[in-house]
Amino acid sequence: MKTFSHGIHPPGNKERTKDLPIVRFDAPEKVYIPLQQHIGKEAAPIVAVGDTVKKGQKIGETVGNISAAVFASVSGPVTAIEKRATATGHCMHVVIENDGRNEEELLPPLENPEPEMIVRRIADCGIVGMGGAGFPTAVKLTPREKIDTFIINGAECEPYLTCDFRIMTEYPRKMLAGAQYMAQALGLSRFTVALEDNKESAAEILRRTAQEEKIDADIVVCRTKYPQGAEKQLIYAVTGRKVCVGKLPASAGVIVSNVHTAYSVYEAVREGVKCTARVLTVSGDAAKNAGNFLVPTGTLISELTGEWDDAAKLVLGGPMMGFAEHNADLSVTKTTSGVLLLTAEETFSYEAEPCINCASCARACPMHLMPMYIDSYILSGDAAGAEKYGAMNCIECGSCAYVCPAHRPLVQSMRLAKKKIRAKGRRV
Amino acid sequence: MKNLTVTVSPHITQKSKTTRSIMFDVLIALSPALVMAIVYFGYHVLINAIVCMGCCFAFELLYTLILKKDFSRKAVKESSCWDCSSLVTGLILALNLPRVIIVEGWNLNVYRAMPAGARAVDYVAFGGDTIILCLIGSLVAVVLVKMLFGGIGKNFANPAATARIFLFLAFGMTWANTTGLGEMLPASTGATWLSSGTKLTNNQNMFFQMFIGNRGAAAAGETCMIALILGYLYLSIRKVIDFRLPLIIVGSAAVLALLFDGLPRHLTGARLVNNMYAHIMSGGLVFGAIFMATDYATSPNTFWGSALYGFGIALFTMLIRVFANYPEGMSFAILIMNITVPLIDKYIVPRPFGYHKKIKEKPLKTPDSPLPYNEAGKGGAEA
Repeated sequence: MKTFSHGIHPPGNKERTKDLPIVRFDAPEKVYIPLQQHIGKEAAPIVAVGDTVKKGQKIGETVGNISAAVFASVSGPVTAIEKRATATGHCMHVVIENDGRNEEELLPPLENPEPEMIVRRIADCGIVGMGGAGFPTAVKLTPREKIDTFIINGAECEPYLTCDFRIMTEYPRKMLAGAQYMAQALGLSRFTVALEDNKESAAEILRRTAQEEKIDADIVVCRTKYPQGAEKQLIYAVTGRKVCVGKLPASAGVIVSNVHTAYSVYEAVREGVKCTARVLTVSGDAAKNAGNFLVPTGTLISELTGEWDDAAKLVLGGPMMGFAEHNADLSVTKTTSGVLLLTAEETFSYEAEPCINCASCARACPMHLMPMYIDSYILSGDAAGAEKYGAMNCIECGSCAYVCPAHRPLVQSMRLAKKKIRAKGRRV
Repeated sequence: MKNLTVTVSPHITQKSKTTRSIMFDVLIALSPALVMAIVYFGYHVLINAIVCMGCCFAFELLYTLILKKDFSRKAVKESSCWDCSSLVTGLILALNLPRVIIVEGWNLNVYRAMPAGARAVDYVAFGGDTIILCLIGSLVAVVLVKMLFGGIGKNFANPAATARIFLFLAFGMTWANTTGLGEMLPASTGATWLSSGTKLTNNQNMFFQMFIGNRGAAAAGETCMIALILGYLYLSIRKVIDFRLPLIIVGSAAVLALLFDGLPRHLTGARLVNNMYAHIMSGGLVFGAIFMATDYATSPNTFWGSALYGFGIALFTMLIRVFANYPEGMSFAILIMNITVPLIDKYIVPRPFGYHKKIKEKPLKTPDSPLPYNEAGKGGAEA
C-alpha cells in the first residue's frame, strides 16, 4: 500500500457524518462575506452600501497577481462594508441582506474549452484551493515549470471531516470531469485521484464512473495515515518523488488539487456557477445538527451550529490543523472545510510537562525533523539553533504535539521558531 | 453557552500515552522480573524494592519542596515526583542489587542461627546493611544524577546504573558472596562464573537452568530470562521502547563473544569463558539492554544513533568482561555510552524530507553575461 514514512494514526471519528448526504443549507437573512478568503492580497470591494446585488455578482476585485475575486452568495441590498474578525485575523466584510428572490448571475457554459479559456474561467469564478489553504487555483494552474503529473487530493486525512468523501460519493461524475478540465489546463491528458483506504467505497465509485465516462483517471488508494493529505507526503506516496526543501510541488513536476476544487471547476466551466458556496462538515460530540451541508459563503457559523451547551472548543477546519475560535460570529469562507464542536473529553487540556526525550515526536514527524530540539532551542531564545534543525520545513501538521506524552505545545513552538527565524532574516 | 477554549492546533491528542502511563508500563514490564527475583532470592528482594522505590520517590518530593522553599499542600501536589519516574528508578536499582550485602564493620544485620562453618551471608534474616545501602543508592540516583541536572529528561547518565556503580566502588559490594536458591553453578562456591575461567559446557542442563534464572551470585533481577523477555515483549507491544535497540545490544554482544573466542589465550588471560550463550544469559546484559539502555533521556533520539549506541554498549561490556579486572561490565558500558549520547545526537541528525545539498552559487564570470547564473536553479519557489 502506498504511503510515506512516519506519521500518526489518530482515531478517524468519521462514522457520525460519513453516511449523511449533502444537504443544501438555506441562505440566512444576512450574510457577511469576507473579502479575504484566500492566500494573497485581500480583494478590493467594488460595490457600495445601498447597491442591490444579484447572487454571483462580483463584489470584490482581485488585487495583484496572487488574489481571487469574491462574489455575492445571495441577492439583495448591501447594507454595510465593515471590518470584522475572520478565523485568523481581520478583513473587510461585505454585508448583504437576503431578499429571498435568489436571482442568480451565471456565465455562459463552455463546451470543449481551450486550456487558456479554462484558466480564465477559473479566475473569473474566483476558485481557490478548497482543501484549506486557499491558494488561487488559476495561479496554480499556470506554473512556470513543466508539469507531468496532476493529482487530485481525496485523502481527507483530518479526523471528523467527511465533505470530500461525500462529494466523491454523490458527485463522482462532476468531480472527475472538473479534474479533467484542470488536467487539460495543464496540458495533460490523464490525472490521478489519491484516497485513503478508509474511503474504499468512494474509490470504487470513482473507478466505475471513470470507466463509464471514459475519463483517463488513475484511482490510487493510499494507507490511512495522518498526514496523508499533506501535499509533499501525498506526492511522495503517489509518485515516489520528493519535493525539495523550500520549493513548491511544481518544481517536482506535480500539481496537487483538492476534490472540492475539482467539483467547483466543473460547476464553473459547464454551468457557469461562481464560487459562492461550499460543502462542509459539521461534527463533534457537542454539535446537535451534525452533517454535511452545502453552505453559502458569508453564512455565520452560529447559524450553522445553533445553540450548544457543553462544547469546550469551536474549531474551524479539522481537529489537527484547524483554528479554535472564541465565538461563532465568523463567516463561512471558501476554505472552511469543517465546523467542529468538541466536548472537553474529545479535546485536551493538559498542563505541559517537561520533555522526557522519548523522541516520539521525531518518529511521528512526516518531514523528518526533530521537534524536541527545535522546541528547546526556541524556548531558550536561540533562533539560529532552531533553524539548523530545520524549523522552516515544518508543515505544522500537529503530529508531534499529538503524540507527545508530556503534552508539550510543539506546534506553537514551531510557529514561534518560524516567526523568529523570519524576523532574524529581515534584520540582516 | 459556556466559554470556549482557544489554543493552537492540534485540538486532539493521544490519550493513551502520558509520561505517567509510560512509567507505569515500565513498572508492569519489570514486575515479572521482580516476582522471579523474589522466588529465587527470597523476601529480601521485596524489602529492597520497597525501600528503594519509597526512598527515590521521597527524595524527589523533598528535593522539589526544598528548592521551592514551599511546603504547602499545593507544592506537594505540583511536585514533579507524581510522574512516577522515580519509582522506575527505584525498582531498577533494587533489581540491580544483590539479595543481601554485608558491609564490614557495620553490624546492622540480624542473623538466624547458623551451623558452624556456614557462610554468614546465607543466614541473614534482616539485612540492615542492605537497607542503608539502598537508601544511599537512591540518594545518589535521584538527587545526584537526576535532580541536580534538571530532573526527568535532563539527566546525562542512567540514575540506576550510576547508583549501582557507586555502591559497587564505594562499599565493595560484590555479587560473589550472595547466593539464591540456585545451587547449580560454580557460582555457589564463591565467585561468579564470569571470573572463574573454566570452560563451560552444557552439563546438568546448565543453559536451561540459566535461562529460567536458576543461578546464584547475581543481582536480584537479572537472572530469569523468561521474565525479562516477557517485559521486553510488553514494552515493545506498547511501543514504549524501540524494539530494535535491545536486539542490537544482545546481538552485537553475541557476535563479539564469538569473535573474542577466537583470540589466543595469552591475549585474553584466563578469564575468557568461551561460550556465547553463557555470555548473553549471565550478568546484567539482557536486563540492562531492555530496561537501562533504553532509558529515554540517556539514549540517542534517532535509530542510527541508537544502533551505534547499542553496539558501543555491547563492545564495552565484552571488553570489560574479557580483558579487564571486573567480572561484569554492563553498567560500566551503559555509563560510558551514556556520556557519548550528546555527541551522537549532535552528529546523527535525520535529514529533513526532501533535503538536498545546497548548490554553491558561483559568482558571475563576466559582468555582461547574458543570464545571471542562478536564474535556472531558482525553480518555482516564489511563484
